[in-house]
Amino acid sequence: MARKLLLEKAHVEGIRHYDVYRREGGYRSVEKALKMQPADIVEEVKKSGLRGRGGAGFPTGMKWSFLAKPDGIPRYLVCNADESEPGTFKDRYLMEFIPHILIEGMIVSSYALGSNSSYIYIRGEYDWITDILEAAITEAKQNGWLGKNIQGSGFDMELYVQRGAGAYICGEETALLESLEGKRGNPRIKPPFPAIKGLWGCPTVVNNVETLAAVVPIINEGGDEYAKIGVGRSTGTKLISACGNINKPGIYEIDMTISVEEFIYSDEYCGGIPNGKKIKACIPGGSSVPILPANLLLTTAKGEKRLMNYESLSDGGFATGSMMGSGGFIVLDEDQCVVRHTYSLARFYRHESCGQCSPCREGTGWMEKILLNIEKGKGKMSDIDLLWDIQSKIEGNTICPLGDAAAWPVAAAIRHFRDEFEWHVNNPEKCLTENFGLRHYADPIHVPTN
Amino acid sequence: MSDEIKNIKVTIDNITIDVAPGTTILNAARQIGGDVTPPAMCYYSKLEGSGGKCRTCLVEVAAGSAADPRPMPKLVASCRTTVMDGMVVKNMTSEKVPDARAGVVEFLLLNHPLDCPICDQAGECHLQDLGYDHGKEGTRYQFARRTFKKEDIGPYIQLHMTRCILCYRCTYVADQLTNKRVHGIVDRGDHAAISTYISKAIENDFSGNMIDVCPVGALTDKTFRFKNRVWFTKPVDAHRNCTTPGCCGKATLWLRGDEVFRVTARKDEWGEVQSYDGKPGWICNTCRFETKKTESWKIEGVTTISRHSVIGANKYKTLEMPNETVKRVMKGVEPKLLMDIHSISNVNNPDIHLSDIKGPAHSGDFKK
Repeated sequence: MARKLLLEKAHVEGIRHYDVYRREGGYRSVEKALKMQPADIVEEVKKSGLRGRGGAGFPTGMKWSFLAKPDGIPRYLVCNADESEPGTFKDRYLMEFIPHILIEGMIVSSYALGSNSSYIYIRGEYDWITDILEAAITEAKQNGWLGKNIQGSGFDMELYVQRGAGAYICGEETALLESLEGKRGNPRIKPPFPAIKGLWGCPTVVNNVETLAAVVPIINEGGDEYAKIGVGRSTGTKLISACGNINKPGIYEIDMTISVEEFIYSDEYCGGIPNGKKIKACIPGGSSVPILPANLLLTTAKGEKRLMNYESLSDGGFATGSMMGSGGFIVLDEDQCVVRHTYSLARFYRHESCGQCSPCREGTGWMEKILLNIEKGKGKMSDIDLLWDIQSKIEGNTICPLGDAAAWPVAAAIRHFRDEFEWHVNNPEKCLTENFGLRHYADPIHVPTN
Repeated sequence: MSDEIKNIKVTIDNITIDVAPGTTILNAARQIGGDVTPPAMCYYSKLEGSGGKCRTCLVEVAAGSAADPRPMPKLVASCRTTVMDGMVVKNMTSEKVPDARAGVVEFLLLNHPLDCPICDQAGECHLQDLGYDHGKEGTRYQFARRTFKKEDIGPYIQLHMTRCILCYRCTYVADQLTNKRVHGIVDRGDHAAISTYISKAIENDFSGNMIDVCPVGALTDKTFRFKNRVWFTKPVDAHRNCTTPGCCGKATLWLRGDEVFRVTARKDEWGEVQSYDGKPGWICNTCRFETKKTESWKIEGVTTISRHSVIGANKYKTLEMPNETVKRVMKGVEPKLLMDIHSISNVNNPDIHLSDIKGPAHSGDFKK
């Protein structure tokens, strides 16, 4: 049984409320942190090796140390709770059931960064969670954890919740800041980075919900202790939101030493594939990371066991690997059609493209139309190469990573499942009624029977 | 501007130039000029914050700076990337750039209606130029092009949303030239559109400049609409004493005979409004739309169009005079004629009556 740091108390009755949360040891990290120097907290986070849990996996401590600290200008901490990636729902769980852990993490982080007003930018569709968070903030304020002179330390801090209006693009940090300022959610052109010029032109740190929550155990136990959990540069625990064709979809907190195979098949986690089906493919880190066929999912191209951590999942680059991403673990069994699945993702990215830069604005729609044609059996063989060419023209040429996120799933689907695309082109009648199935990239391992 | 410190060395396509700190790669390339300059569809040097959106100006940075000579991993938008000392940039010499740029051109033209034969912008359209210079022939797009509902945005400006490439320049004009912006981008993605908030008319003294900054035919002059093709009209520089505050009163009149078909601001070789004393020469709507009589203007002379485009082709270039040697070899004396041709040429033989020659004349006819 893996150690749980974030979800340890998730099932305690009434943990959503301050009294229970405090009784279970909540807000200890704030008490400890307020006695420390802000720079020491940053140092502690650096030591912990915590990496951003939003998707990119950038070391949090390093991000914090980049924050410019000019005199006379306020600094801001913004929590990115605009969790909208298909397959990712870990922050929702955290905020819905243990809202105080996020508030606690934000108080510590704000103190470390010197932010006197911090913001939680929450996805617009999470309206009921907004109420939960606001209720929790009120409780925290009543008990002296927010507001003026927190716990007699002289540190003032206000925490605000701002709802988005339903745009995936506002999860991109600079688009989020634009939206928070009340403008159209278009990503800004970088540089300058938010650490220099962010919210209202002031230095800003934008962190994911899970990242900020992870600051709590880091301060409680110390950065060195936290770094002992996990393996290599993947330290600590990670929330994985597992969904798709698995027996037990849900949120799992893992330490990053377990293998993908164990994660999918053990009863502690996903509990295997329903109805005795075989696994066909998996997206290990949210919809924008490359899809992996079963044979590359459980073992790397080198033949090693693939583990659930940043390094192992990206082993082999995009040719034979994928990414940890945000931890949205989507499993596809043998009955799923990769073309249909890719079309569905392309449709999502076309719909969510902000329309600011041309490759993403025009390219995402074009890919969607071609994929729909192939899916409907109206595709041509040349369309597959065309798709490949379009994604290569989008990737890396856009303002923000949404272009890459739209290109990667298409690229990976063609890279690993080209025969399925060709089968759709060659069998226009069949592809509407039948499924390509597994064929040669079939599940190479046994299905546990017990 | 001349006493600016130029201490940053940047090499673009193997040409090294010293520029001032804070200069963008694009502006450094413009100082070199010619093919070294990346095209720009959304960047407009006179509009703060513009650029970075169209991605046509992508260049490869082969070395970030002298201090950190690592190449940048991705192509960068040259209009928004400032140069560093010792930076090495590849534009036309890059292997990746032409391909990426052709891709961007294809994306920009994907949903463009290509109705150039009926578009007022044809001949001075930046997208046409871009397509010819950097695009590939033909498109691989086989789907219906996106269309929009027509919208009336006032008496002076015609909006053709289908032609728009969403460069955002007109929104910057409205933000920076006028005190109230009533139009902007609505919706997102490939259905994003320029629109006024619930069909309002755009009415302010400087709204006409949106037409000048529009790189395509999305915003055109209603008073010039379908009146003429730009290459048939003759551009002349003219000025008048305009009383509107902020209007420079210096314009280009586009004439056909004596008739003024259109008035625009004067533009430089990058298709941008010219600057006077460091200030962009925007003109007001009175000058642009209401002052269409030659009497109202003081004409300065023929406009030299230095921009490389259809309107600049084959006309109004300064005549290149042959190197005059006579004056030099004659030590300053410059006779009109070097010899008395009347005594030498047979053509001038008064004994021959031209009417006597039948058919085309030959030299032999004069040797009688």
